[in-house]
Amino acid sequence: MKRTLTINLGGQVFHIDEDAYEELKAYLTRIEVHFSDPGERKEVMDDIERRMAELLQEKDGDKNRVVTLNEVREMKEILGDPDEIGESGEETSSRKETRHYRTPGYKRIYRNPDDRILGGVCGGLGAYFHINPLLFRILFIIFTFAGGTGLLVYIILWIVVPEARTRAQKMEMRGEPVTIENLGKTVREEFNEVRNSFRKT
Amino acid sequence: MNVENAKAQMKKGVLEYCILSILSRNSGYASDIIRELKEARMIVVEGTLYPLLTRQKNAGLLSYRWEESTQGPPRKYYELTDKGREFLNELDTAWNELVEAVQFIRKK
Repeated sequence: MKRTLTINLGGQVFHIDEDAYEELKAYLTRIEVHFSDPGERKEVMDDIERRMAELLQEKDGDKNRVVTLNEVREMKEILGDPDEIGESGEETSSRKETRHYRTPGYKRIYRNPDDRILGGVCGGLGAYFHINPLLFRILFIIFTFAGGTGLLVYIILWIVVPEARTRAQKMEMRGEPVTIENLGKTVREEFNEVRNSFRKT
Repeated sequence: MNVENAKAQMKKGVLEYCILSILSRNSGYASDIIRELKEARMIVVEGTLYPLLTRQKNAGLLSYRWEESTQGPPRKYYELTDKGREFLNELDTAWNELVEAVQFIRKK
């Protein structure tokens, strides 16, 4: 017995096994990180997704069947290695920067949208310094009641510090190097988080 | 320096020329182009084509239109622009010169 998911691939709906989904998602992400220009990335990814949808439909017209891990692997064979796809899209000179588009371990303060009570300032500080955000929250509350500077500083930080929106920014917030392998890792982690939250409900 | 790598590098340069050449005959959608390139054994995997098409389109050499398909999603039909045609003419000349040059050297 296997759990299945429903996905939208190139505008078509498919049922897919959980392990096949994980493999497909990791593959697409590995292609995606090669394209630095957002417009180009979107277009190429759309084209590739549409082609995948077409390949799946060519194989079997039945709408209610489930896409298996083997089929995803076959598609990967047909479409090829993500590094090769990325290389044909990039000028050779910029190839290096796309692999490590930030220096490893580059660290920045962001507001953390995944761990927040108001604006995510304390959550972000906690992630940056690798300490429990609760400590910052208590400090801000103490300084708010002792003269009100805490609230002022908090609001200024809320305005000045950007929110970590993308996966790469969240990794920078924690000081993790932004590499393809690590991006793949966070994708898998996110997937597991979602899966676990489903299981709980 | 291994042989496979050298062969891949050689093909890569010619691939863009081949795409333009295929589209100069008829407009086509990605899978048509892939089929021709595979028949000619120019490519083995399909994925490499998509970034090239997007880049050529962004460079103004190609344009595309959407066309409904009887089975599946609408398809993107690519065709050469005027600029693309000029570009192809230049490449045609360059290719002939290149082939002559290589033949000249090999015969010596």
